[in-house]
Amino acid sequence: MTFKPAHISRMAIALGCILPVVLLFGISLSQNWAFPKLLPQQFTAANWSALFTKGNSITTGLFTSLIIALLVASLATASGFFTSQVIAYHRFRRQLIVLAYLPFVISPVIFAVCLKFYFIRMNLVGNIMGIVLAQLIIAFPYSIIFFVGFWNQRIKQYQMAVNTLGGSNGYAFSKVIVPLSRPMLLVCFFQCFLISWFEYGLTSIIGYGKVQTLTIKVFDFLTEANLYYAALSCCLLIIPPVILLWLNKRIIFRRIE
Amino acid sequence: MFLTLKNISKKYAGKTVLQQIDCSVPPHITMSILGKSGCGKSTLLKIIAGLEQQDGGQVLLEQKDISHTKPNGRNIVYLFQEPLLFPHLDVFENIAFGLRVRDWAAAEIKVKVETMLQSLDLESHRSKMPHQLSGGQKQRVAFGRAIIINPPLILLDEPFSSLDVEIRASMQQLYKKLAQQFNITALFVTHDLKEALLMGDQVAYMEDGLLQVFDKKQDFINDSRTGVQNEIEFWNTL
Repeated sequence: MTFKPAHISRMAIALGCILPVVLLFGISLSQNWAFPKLLPQQFTAANWSALFTKGNSITTGLFTSLIIALLVASLATASGFFTSQVIAYHRFRRQLIVLAYLPFVISPVIFAVCLKFYFIRMNLVGNIMGIVLAQLIIAFPYSIIFFVGFWNQRIKQYQMAVNTLGGSNGYAFSKVIVPLSRPMLLVCFFQCFLISWFEYGLTSIIGYGKVQTLTIKVFDFLTEANLYYAALSCCLLIIPPVILLWLNKRIIFRRIE
Repeated sequence: MFLTLKNISKKYAGKTVLQQIDCSVPPHITMSILGKSGCGKSTLLKIIAGLEQQDGGQVLLEQKDISHTKPNGRNIVYLFQEPLLFPHLDVFENIAFGLRVRDWAAAEIKVKVETMLQSLDLESHRSKMPHQLSGGQKQRVAFGRAIIINPPLILLDEPFSSLDVEIRASMQQLYKKLAQQFNITALFVTHDLKEALLMGDQVAYMEDGLLQVFDKKQDFINDSRTGVQNEIEFWNTL
């Protein structure tokens, strides 16, 4: 068997991606790894089984993150889809798109500090709804920018074609526009989920330490030097995006084929 | 008269596109409208279909004022320059679309679509997706999708402009056959002089938002503005 340079570089990339994950899983399954020992002194499933104990903070963080990410992804995708239609056919289209880019001009942490005053006034600091709203300030314009190119003249003509064939705007929407946009809707949902899932700056400032998402927990464990729980949280952090990637591949790519 | 247009006018950003258009179309004929690009032909068709709103005037279909009726309530089909087949539906479903809108029973849809596929010589393509069809086949499916709902009026906005010469000629023949078979009343917009004469039972000429309908084709041929005389002169001097 001969190895070509392309094979070697591909394998190197694959190892570069897989090894950190393997290492994380290894650390999450270990205890008593102190310097200068080369390997952990004990391998155990105790860290993982602790997830199933009542009131475990990592499990709570996982579900909190899931609720927030699913809410943000659903709301941002749906509202961005409809809003982008209005913007795409608006006479001030360009100006409105520029406005949608504004939340990305400054860092999320600075942005959160700027917003914090208003969130305190509205009693939205330290609760899930506040974090969902804060993350939507990033995810919603992202969704608008994502969809605005979809609403072109051709889509408008499809709608007109349905209208002259006797279908209402609602019929055109459900039977033509949604089926045509389904792959984009799924990708946008996936991207918004990831934006929310890995969001740290806005969440830590607006959450005020009271809402512990999984990302926040990872940073907490790292500052506590709790390597094993940090690795365990990282493993859990990876699982939902991997499932979504797999679904994405199955649903969207199979459709394209 | 079947279709009557009374004083239709339209402006875009202060620029007059249609000026007091008056026109009547009898039933079961195809009126072709010849005009250069930007003369207002497509705007006129879109106003009749309800896809654009006129600034003034009335559209009457079978003596009924439909000027403010929504496009889906007019029962007038508009065929665009491109076939605009729905890319997620196969040929059968594209043709059946208008029948599904009208909630026809599945068995009736099957019979009607099969008959239409035969008329269009598309039986072997019934399960193909639009991207698997040639330009001419796509346009045939678009015709089938329009005709199957038996609309009182069809508006054709340069439907063959994107086809090459041979396919264009065969599509013109097919349209003539279908128009006769299904007693179609239609307005056929084109910027091609030969096509206007071939397709229309009656011919009209549009220039700068003004429409002139010719009672006889000979009047159209004799009118210097239409360009027919220039064309004859060109071929005679060749």
